[in-house]
Amino acid sequence: MKARTIVLPLLLALPALASAQVTAERIASADREPSNWLTYSGNYQSHRFSPLTQIDRANVARLKPAWVYQVRRTGIVETSPIVADGVMYITEPPSTVTALDARSGRPLWTYTPAIPTDVIVIGSPPVNRGVAILVDTVFFGTIHGHLIALDAKSGAVRWDTTVDDNKLGHYLTNAPLALADRIIVGVSGAEAGIRGFLDAYDPKTGKRVWRTYTVPGPGEPGFDTWGGDSWKNGGGSSWLTGSYDPALNLVYWGTGNPGPDWNGDVRPGDNLYTCALLALNPADGRIKWHFQFTPHDVHDWDSNEIPILFDATVGGRQRRLVAMANRNAFYYVLDRETGEFISGTPYAKQTWADGLDAKGRPRLKPGMDPSTEGTLVFPNIQGASNWPSPSYSPLTKMFYQPAREMGTYYYKGESKYLPGEPFVAGGGRAVNGDDAWGAVRALDAVTGALKWEFKLLSPPWTGLLTTAGGLVFGGTEEGNFFALDADNGKPLWDLQLGGAVKANPIAFAVDGKQYIAIAAGYALFVFGL
Amino acid sequence: MILPLVLALTLQGAAAPARDVQDGKKLFEGMCARCHGIDGTGDEGPALNRASLAHAATEDALREVIRDGIPDRGMPRVRRLTESELTQLVAYVTSLGRAAATTSRGDAGRGRAVYTRLGCASCHIVDGQGGSFGPELTQIGVQRGAGYLKQSVIGPAEVLPRGLSLVPGRGFSEYLPVQIVTATGQTIRGVRINEDPFTIQVRDTANQFHSFRKSELKSVEKEFGKSLMPAFRGRVSDVELDDLVAYLATLRGVK
Repeated sequence: MKARTIVLPLLLALPALASAQVTAERIASADREPSNWLTYSGNYQSHRFSPLTQIDRANVARLKPAWVYQVRRTGIVETSPIVADGVMYITEPPSTVTALDARSGRPLWTYTPAIPTDVIVIGSPPVNRGVAILVDTVFFGTIHGHLIALDAKSGAVRWDTTVDDNKLGHYLTNAPLALADRIIVGVSGAEAGIRGFLDAYDPKTGKRVWRTYTVPGPGEPGFDTWGGDSWKNGGGSSWLTGSYDPALNLVYWGTGNPGPDWNGDVRPGDNLYTCALLALNPADGRIKWHFQFTPHDVHDWDSNEIPILFDATVGGRQRRLVAMANRNAFYYVLDRETGEFISGTPYAKQTWADGLDAKGRPRLKPGMDPSTEGTLVFPNIQGASNWPSPSYSPLTKMFYQPAREMGTYYYKGESKYLPGEPFVAGGGRAVNGDDAWGAVRALDAVTGALKWEFKLLSPPWTGLLTTAGGLVFGGTEEGNFFALDADNGKPLWDLQLGGAVKANPIAFAVDGKQYIAIAAGYALFVFGL
Repeated sequence: MILPLVLALTLQGAAAPARDVQDGKKLFEGMCARCHGIDGTGDEGPALNRASLAHAATEDALREVIRDGIPDRGMPRVRRLTESELTQLVAYVTSLGRAAATTSRGDAGRGRAVYTRLGCASCHIVDGQGGSFGPELTQIGVQRGAGYLKQSVIGPAEVLPRGLSLVPGRGFSEYLPVQIVTATGQTIRGVRINEDPFTIQVRDTANQFHSFRKSELKSVEKEFGKSLMPAFRGRVSDVELDDLVAYLATLRGVK
């Protein structure tokens, strides 16, 4: 009898737990439940904007650490946490997932796959940028090329799928994107000469539903933009999380550089669909439209940057737009139904193009290709932007970009393709530290016009978060985490975290209290009032 | 007696065959330069043009690092290299930022006296002795060649190197002269020790440490292209200069 009295409250508690499932409908309406952070960039439109207002311009100066979580092994912590119903899911380098009590920071479970000691990671450090959550399952990619589904309550493996062969240099660092019955995930490996693709998996079984190659094969449209057999090692990785428009049912995903990076002689042509934005139907992976930012790239200017979706009036007409602050230093606004180019303006120093033509194709300056004696070009190899997220505030209608101001002497080398080996053909000589800098820039989201900037000492590797409290949160290579006034860039608060901030901030709430989370050094910091 | 000594020195300081260094350079540019920069000047990965490497103090250790990588730090293991290719890569990386022991026209013994007479020790530490305002010179003979040393004595501001030290890091100018005016109008001149967008740390010309929040200062002027070390052009004879450089070249950190 006693047992029954215990069981009863448990049963009563169960419906509450069951309702705490993260459905795709909840993710699509993420702005309605700002306590949670349900997808990589906060919502499907990738705004990285929190509607929470508790922390605001007037009180942010009182922000202080609530808890700190130290990762289990050293490495670069680039995670962007997911928060769902009081639980935070983070990734630790290289491919570990840990669930934390969002109230206290105490771990609930942690999962580390067996990574072979001879894992091949060429093109970036062995990092992970976060998980996706759907219903009761957490999804993440690994540096040995797997996509793994974990039970959200226990961390137990639901399924473990090999996306592609790591021996050929395929590896995963991006947070997957969870839609109703599709887990979309990209791949890294262009620097090892992979042929890039974007995949969709069944969330329940881990079975691949479709694969869309970012480099067309024989007979496919765009194949003629590759000389000879170069398409086979054409690169075009899909290594950062895309966006989704539920109304148009289109997924927007950026693609990376062609391979080899700095010697384009072996791959004559525009090299579609590298350095492009793809709009795909998530049902079958068909490409509805594409827009190539940098045809025949020879500077390693991937276009994987976060595409931000918003609607605005352009030329008197309400338009559905997608904007990207591209690694090549231009800020692009496209029509997201058709892919039509609307505008493109530099948001950072660039010396390679005399602007863009009416279709958005760059007018190349002569003599800006990599050379054996080195060619100084702005932006540098890591670009004017990179994986750190921009933010869009529906309140200010501004696009906030961590901008990197730096040049590189680009050198052209030779590379022979060998499976699983670097396939880059050159490199760069970076300018001195004091000749490089950065800024948080607020752009008019429609025109790209600069509204204000907050200068940084070094080109940043920190993403930005805006909040309905009128704030922009960002960080620095020197370890500062700071809050600016979203209207004018005035600094309102900063704290030295003791390690470079190479991550994206998020906001969430527990028990009605708002928090801001950011990784820095070897730790995750959570701040509250 | 002299002959064996010379032989021993040659063997010990034996630079790798120039051919290995050349071949290693090609391999480096194909595989390593993306992160470590052309000529190992550093980019996303650390600069390798230093006298000693944090993870590879010896050539064997370097060989191991190239073969096995440093997975935590993002350095991939490099497979499929033959033993001779490994040797070439090690030879090239080792040659970066390392000046060969050169014979100088000068006399190191007399040079030591010049070092003392010019008061270099007031700002530089050698083997634990001296002042700490300027860079330590205990290993300067390994880090810099004779030509560079000569130039840095007669006109230091003309040959400011790209910063290699871990603080402030990432290629920032080291010993950058700064002039700071505080809110109360006090002027402080010194060298920048470290900096972030919100704060700056300096040592003044009396080698006293100061820390400031930039928002509380009237001005911070960074004097790029200048050095607080005096230029000795015209203040030492050619012979004294050769002697001094000969002495500095003997400072190789090994006693």
